[in-house]
Amino acid sequence: MAELIGSITILIGAVFLFSAGLGMLRMPDAFTRIQAGTKASTLGNTLVLVGIAFYHPDWSLKLLIIAYFVLMTNPISSHALARAANTILQPAQSPAADASRADRKRSEA
Amino acid sequence: MRRGAAIVLIAFLGVIFATIAVSYSQRSSLPELAAAYVDLVPRELGAPNVITGILLTYRAFDTLGEVAVLFMVAAGVGLLLGAGGEERDEGQAGIRRPLKETPSTEIVQNGADILVPLIAIFAAYIAMHGHLGPGGGFQGGAVMASCVLLLLLAKPDYRIKLAHLSFIESLAGLLIVAVGIAGIILASGFLDNRVLPLGEFGAFFSAGAIPVLSVLLGVKVGCELSVIIERFRA
Amino acid sequence: MPIASIVLSTGLILVLIGIWGMLTQRNILRIIVGFTLMGTGSHLVIVAIGYVSNRTAPIIDGGLSLAEAPTRSVDPIPSALAVTAIVIGLAVTAVMLAYAIRLYQAKQTLSIDAFTDSKW
Repeated sequence: MAELIGSITILIGAVFLFSAGLGMLRMPDAFTRIQAGTKASTLGNTLVLVGIAFYHPDWSLKLLIIAYFVLMTNPISSHALARAANTILQPAQSPAADASRADRKRSEA
Repeated sequence: MRRGAAIVLIAFLGVIFATIAVSYSQRSSLPELAAAYVDLVPRELGAPNVITGILLTYRAFDTLGEVAVLFMVAAGVGLLLGAGGEERDEGQAGIRRPLKETPSTEIVQNGADILVPLIAIFAAYIAMHGHLGPGGGFQGGAVMASCVLLLLLAKPDYRIKLAHLSFIESLAGLLIVAVGIAGIILASGFLDNRVLPLGEFGAFFSAGAIPVLSVLLGVKVGCELSVIIERFRA
Repeated sequence: MPIASIVLSTGLILVLIGIWGMLTQRNILRIIVGFTLMGTGSHLVIVAIGYVSNRTAPIIDGGLSLAEAPTRSVDPIPSALAVTAIVIGLAVTAVMLAYAIRLYQAKQTLSIDAFTDSKW
């Protein structure tokens, strides 16, 4: 029973990791790519570790330390990358952003 | 290369690889040399980790060659990217620097304050416990270089003294060869690990000169990779 | 399917993807990524060849005692070769990236179509 829950959790984590990779390929802009890569892959990592904890309950403390490490380092690195990208790049223009800007101008006028 | 030619080549290679993959059957017993190594390393060298025993004693000459390759790469990157450390202040015309030095934000600084000691301890642990568990010199050196990279990211005005690092790296290389020559004089061959007492199996101070070589390798590889990272920054 | 065949096939597929990337991409950084992919695939192939059925890693600790090591451990030699190969792959990637930086400084572009004038 615990193995079934663990396997399902690892599968969900793998789905999140796959969607992180897919997002990094298909997103139009560097900023959205960084966002897709970090958030989804951190969650995927954590879910895989939780799934392994269901399989081997006596490894829980070590897996918790690994998850803590992953949670500490992934956001910091993506923040540094995004800040570096902000210095050189401009965000991509999107039709939705233009429409919302036009709406705000119309409502202020 | 044009698309058509690339597709033909990939298809051809794909057929060859498919033949290899399909006709490969998993082994069910160790080959002779591997069985001999797995038997000899714990018995004669006193090292529980068979792979580190092979890498640092039986095939230590290959490891020395790899150390030489890393040294050449550090020299090559230094040649290609110019002398970054010394000429930075003069604003050399050949090397364009599109970004000014911006201080890092609070997130990266606080994160680095917590993480850098952890990563440094982890790197030392991996390098020193090469003979007892997975790890060894190269792995510890790579983790040490990532710690230096984090430090460079968090404090952009942190200048690595390349002269000191090069001196430490060359000293570590010299000590590795000195341990090897001591192996010729005191034990049965170059880079034999029986120059130091074998000790009790599984203890920390055991397996002869393997922990010493591991630590020296870790220091050397860490310094080299840090030098490479610093050159890329310039 | 046996584990070694799965890892072997994955490694060979990665080698194929890496070679395709090196041949068809025009951006220098993507060519370097293709080279690294090919290297990683070949590391997987090396390690997969050393796997013996139902055995464990060749490290003697609580899980694997000294007496049963020759009958219960996988082949250690391909793993040792893979350690060397990974480090050298890292070194070659560093040199390639340094070349990419110099090429960019020479022509201000990252496409290899700009560097065809030395062909004869």
